[in-house]
Amino acid sequence: MDITVIGLILVVCMLLMLTSGIWVALTLTGISIIGLQLIGNDSIGLLLGTSSWSAVTGWSLTALPLFIWMGEILFRTRLSQDLFEGLSPMLSRFPGKLLHVNILSCGIFAAVSGSSAATAATIGRMTLPELSRRGYNDTMAIGTLAGSGTLGLLIPPSIILIVYGVSAEVSIARLFLAGVMPGLVLILLFMAFTAGWTLMQGRKGEVADNVQYSTKEKLQALKKLIPIVLLIGGVLGSIYQGIATPTEAAAFGVAGSLLLSAMLGSFTLRGFIDSVAGAVKNSCMLGLILVGAHFLTLAMGFIGIPNALATWIADLGLSPIELIIYLTVFFVIMGCFLDGISVIVLTTSVVLPMVTQANIDLLWFGIFLVLVVEMSQITPPVGFNLFVIQALTGKNILYVAKAALPFFFMIAIAIVLITMYPEIVLYLPTMMTS
Amino acid sequence: MQTLKHYFYLASAVLSGTSLVVMTLLILAQIAARMFGVIIPSSEDFAGWLLSATIFFGLAYTFNTGNHIRVTILLSRLEGKSRRLVEFFNLTAGVLISGYLAYYTAFTAYESYIYHDVTDTYLAVPLWIVQTPMALGSLFLLIAIVDSYIAALQGEKPGFIAHEDALSAAE
Repeated sequence: MDITVIGLILVVCMLLMLTSGIWVALTLTGISIIGLQLIGNDSIGLLLGTSSWSAVTGWSLTALPLFIWMGEILFRTRLSQDLFEGLSPMLSRFPGKLLHVNILSCGIFAAVSGSSAATAATIGRMTLPELSRRGYNDTMAIGTLAGSGTLGLLIPPSIILIVYGVSAEVSIARLFLAGVMPGLVLILLFMAFTAGWTLMQGRKGEVADNVQYSTKEKLQALKKLIPIVLLIGGVLGSIYQGIATPTEAAAFGVAGSLLLSAMLGSFTLRGFIDSVAGAVKNSCMLGLILVGAHFLTLAMGFIGIPNALATWIADLGLSPIELIIYLTVFFVIMGCFLDGISVIVLTTSVVLPMVTQANIDLLWFGIFLVLVVEMSQITPPVGFNLFVIQALTGKNILYVAKAALPFFFMIAIAIVLITMYPEIVLYLPTMMTS
Repeated sequence: MQTLKHYFYLASAVLSGTSLVVMTLLILAQIAARMFGVIIPSSEDFAGWLLSATIFFGLAYTFNTGNHIRVTILLSRLEGKSRRLVEFFNLTAGVLISGYLAYYTAFTAYESYIYHDVTDTYLAVPLWIVQTPMALGSLFLLIAIVDSYIAALQGEKPGFIAHEDALSAAE
């Protein structure tokens, strides 16, 4: 059967299954089974068995439940309150006020987490209930979280950059350095959009929150940030000094959070059990999706759809800028159906020779790829940040996607910026070599 | 019967939660041991296996609490008989796919058993032992979906829908 026909059948099946309300993870598995049937594969079950096994036994993946658990623990302490009380005085005159806390705390947390979903989960656990309590616009609260949660992918340590570094044979240390400035650019873009939106709305999105602070109060408030800064500094420091891998740092973070919770007097056995239950629910939800996505990636590889698409783009013979534009579109479409790491692994082998030939710097391309994957994290139907935020808020996935849309465009602007000014990416790594 | 169900979902949660806690303790122990110059053999591999146990054991519990993500934009607009019909379609697909998953994860573990496969790690462990949580957990998920299916057949509200409703009511 022609690959285009198979592709179309699968897209139709997937849309049908998803819209009728079949669980996303099971849909991914179901689609893969159908696709493999269509090409007459005779060992589908065996592939599913081995794929499920390898999908959730990776060492780097163990950081995900740990960071989710850390968030669940911190969520049940007074720390979320302290974070707000510490940051809000500084932002009380800035248009958008506490919406910026979402962005800034995601940016900070991204420095201890390699995963976009974990960042959104941890920060969202802290900030969403507070923003809702203070009467902020729900759409903006969810949008800022979905958008800045994706910073977890870009700001080091980043699992996705490690995957890219290995398959593209680019130095991971240099990739980590390269991710810093684009990350800051994104934070600025998000904050600028939030401030601009608030001003255009006549600041009505923050109308319920009109608390004012004196300078002394602001200094007092800053003290409340010390515990969280220590915790994040400990987790971050252990990674940067090379004492620990992200997973170990995450385990360290769990222990540190429990200790902090005890010191703040908010530790209870009930709270501990609840935090484990919460971590289990979120990890299992994401875990089953990873099982489905891993199998889908495998099935797609067998059918040859990603390769066919990549080859088709390569055949068009384009200038570097055109190539980047088409690749962006291509990756965004792929990212709608496949998880970010799968997109990277499946396409690096096909796309990289083409990229090298077009004289595009592989270090730059890695950051570009991560930015595009960030966009795909907030596009339905398969956008991990959307799933995480849907689980956190109980809001419909399309509602969350719509709320995140402006931040999708902010990431697009960041891609344009790094394309026009590659120095944003390359400056710090060049400093390292000289 | 209700008590039995309660303990089934509790077991799913407890097994998963325990795996998570043990995984964390193992990783912490590894850090501590390294400070004293001791290496715990294959600790990273064991952490990976405990991760698979955490994820698979907890699937049934997560299903029952309505935490597995799905698109409900159509469902939430349907009422009465048509909604029940679509829900039956979903549950049927759920039973089929999770049944397929349960069968073949069990088969994978069984194959590892009959071929005496061992892991390719420093400490060679029989593969079927570390794969058993995956097989059991997938079976638990199948049982959970069948449980919801039976409840729907009897005209009751399945556990996951009750929880989903509670989640959306909290908005």
